[in-house]
Amino acid sequence: MDELYLDNIDEFVNDHDKIVTYKWLSLTLGVHVNTAKQMLYHYLDHKRKESSAQLHATYLVSGKFEDNGQTGHKVSVVKEDQLEDFKSKMSLVVSVHVYSVQKALLKDSGPLYSVDYDAVKDNLKNCTKFSAIRCASAVPMSSLELQQARQIHQVPAPEPEHKKPAMNGEANASKPSTKPQKGIMGMFASKAAPKNQDNVKDIKTEQKEDTPVAEAPKSKPAAKANPMMNFFGTQTAKKPDKTEKKEEAAQSSSSAEVQRQSSQPEEKREAPAVQPPKDTKKEARSKSKRVVDSDSEEEKMEKKKRRRIKKPEPDSSDEDVIPDSPQQMKTRELSPSPEKEVEPVSHSPSGNSQKTRKRRRVLKARTFVDDEGCIVTEKCYESESYSETEDDVQATKQASKDPVPAKRPASHKPDEKKSQKKTSANANKGSKQASIMGFFQKK
Amino acid sequence: MELQPSILREISDEHNLLPQPARAKYISETDELILEDELQRIKLEGKIDRDKCVTGSVIAIYGAERNDGKFTVEDFCMADLPPQTPRPVLSSDRFVLLASGLGLGSSHADSMLGLQLLIDMVTGQLGDQGEQSGAANISRVLLAGNLLSQSTQDKDASTKPKYLTKKTQAGSVEAIRLLDELLLQLVASLPVDVMPGQYDPTNYTLPQQPLHRCMFPLSSVYPTLQLASNPHIANIDGVRFLGTSGQNVLDIQKYSSMESHLEILEETLRLRHLAPTAPDTLGCFPFYQKDPFILEECPHVYFSGNATTFESKLVKGPDGQEVLLVTIPEFSSTQTACLVNLRTLECEPVSFSAFSANDDEESEMNISH
Repeated sequence: MDELYLDNIDEFVNDHDKIVTYKWLSLTLGVHVNTAKQMLYHYLDHKRKESSAQLHATYLVSGKFEDNGQTGHKVSVVKEDQLEDFKSKMSLVVSVHVYSVQKALLKDSGPLYSVDYDAVKDNLKNCTKFSAIRCASAVPMSSLELQQARQIHQVPAPEPEHKKPAMNGEANASKPSTKPQKGIMGMFASKAAPKNQDNVKDIKTEQKEDTPVAEAPKSKPAAKANPMMNFFGTQTAKKPDKTEKKEEAAQSSSSAEVQRQSSQPEEKREAPAVQPPKDTKKEARSKSKRVVDSDSEEEKMEKKKRRRIKKPEPDSSDEDVIPDSPQQMKTRELSPSPEKEVEPVSHSPSGNSQKTRKRRRVLKARTFVDDEGCIVTEKCYESESYSETEDDVQATKQASKDPVPAKRPASHKPDEKKSQKKTSANANKGSKQASIMGFFQKK
Repeated sequence: MELQPSILREISDEHNLLPQPARAKYISETDELILEDELQRIKLEGKIDRDKCVTGSVIAIYGAERNDGKFTVEDFCMADLPPQTPRPVLSSDRFVLLASGLGLGSSHADSMLGLQLLIDMVTGQLGDQGEQSGAANISRVLLAGNLLSQSTQDKDASTKPKYLTKKTQAGSVEAIRLLDELLLQLVASLPVDVMPGQYDPTNYTLPQQPLHRCMFPLSSVYPTLQLASNPHIANIDGVRFLGTSGQNVLDIQKYSSMESHLEILEETLRLRHLAPTAPDTLGCFPFYQKDPFILEECPHVYFSGNATTFESKLVKGPDGQEVLLVTIPEFSSTQTACLVNLRTLECEPVSFSAFSANDDEESEMNISH
């Protein structure tokens, strides 16, 4: 066993012509640094006794020395021939050990650095695994802790950092905010009023779901709290609010799953809501903070709007609008915890459909072979149980071939989006204008 | 001050002046010292050193006004040290390592081995058991600015045509990646505070915002990494540290006759203001209501980074305050860092060196006094 490492070092030095530093050795062989130093020392000793090969070594000398009355600590890498010289210059020698062993005489210490650099680069994760000092708190945070840390970071950031002209989170949010669709929003605001009865908690879950998604939508959770505030006050609610409410509505129906709330996310969401206004450009808006903050939602809403671009503003009941939101949520959420909630939500449309399920007469074409052997296509009205959400869910299922939306991996997301675009388009046409559906079905 | 750069003079057509070249000192013989308050101003003469005073100092003067409208100063005084909460008594030796001016990303990478030796020493890989146990007492590392070298600030993209620079990365990208790897080695072992400096990728005006954690994907997962602003206040084991990356001191050095960074540091402490020349000659955010650079409470350790040499001094105030002033030298040129003992408030330089082909004996770059 003892001989093994000697052979190893021998191989490295002589055969591979490497510069073997103690650090490189410790990382390569997986031993403690002090052990590596001892190994090098023994090897050097061994070889020197044998006096077989020409080996050169560099040493590390560290100690105290005096300079104009000031005691300083000095750490140096020295060549073997300078070792004694250096030691004599120091007032107190703290430690000396072998730094590296190599076959060729080194003129410059540059290669020593590059050797260590490569070794460390390959072992970045556990570069301090073999060091002599341990730190209890230096443990990498898990991704969940990271997000929490970042949320906390963002929340107090606006308040104390009054020095900052513009805040990071808000800067993100304010960037993509575009034209307000105030008129339409105003129309919807009144509709949304009854929906205001939803719990604030629903919003919070929504935001909590959003949080794990990405960094950029970080402003979204912050922004989302504000529509909640908007509900309870301002007239100038906007399209983001509408979507927000829709999601709430969807959430509320599956309130059982949604109800697992902690007060903490709630507080966090409330705090961002208090962010000072950033978008002073839109003078058209009222000056209230909440309104301005809701603009920041538009960034998130923009994404949604793109997908639902064909969908005109709903002037029908909210229930028709609800079905879209589960799909929106499906595309946006990726992490497992929201998936769980998405799942119940997506199933909830079927629950929703209980509300919206109705029988109606649909013009359908029936083809059959009549007695003469001719294929006849007959258009007739059939009464069927219709639910918009069902249509959508089914369409989505067919499109993505994955009935459980929760299990959809991120790669299906574009498919989902496309299918949702289709389904939302379909849903649009289906829910609002039944006659047009009939038009398409004729084909 | 006649030599003070003035944008109005530069762009003035009648004078037809070229932009003034950068100078080391902007003081001249024709400068005048003027005391100013909200209502009026008056020229000062007498027992006050014109070249030692900087714009923005708040002082009280004692003297008389002469007939020609100038004020003859017989004595003056400054706000002096602010009140200080006494520091706790520590039972064992605990150290804080202060370093600045790492200068990563520079074209000549001479200091890299020194930097690696520093990291190895702090993380406990260098040295034998005795040294390692000593290094284990280092409870924090504070990097005070200029982690990137000035050469990464090369504004090539703005001067060269786009087709030449399209594929080239900014120099700071590679340097930040290198810094991230270095920080990773450090944060796995002990808490690190990172302050930005003049050449680091953050805003230019004081107070500089912390470097963003997205630049440090490897090391920001560790809770021990703290990205701090410039200036920075830290409370390490009850000992208050306050300091900057050196821009304030450097600016005062340019606009006064004072040369020693330590002297300037003491001057700012006695003035009770971190950066008196801001916003006159030093870029700073236009604070309106409150000036955050006023020292309300006296720190125990007051430092400034990127000095030319290491200097330290213990200053005692009239009310029993005790402040250790430290000027942290630039690591890229001096290979020296400072080790502050929290128990005794002493500072000692730690220097690293390696050998090179140029000199037979090693390049000893340690300077201390």
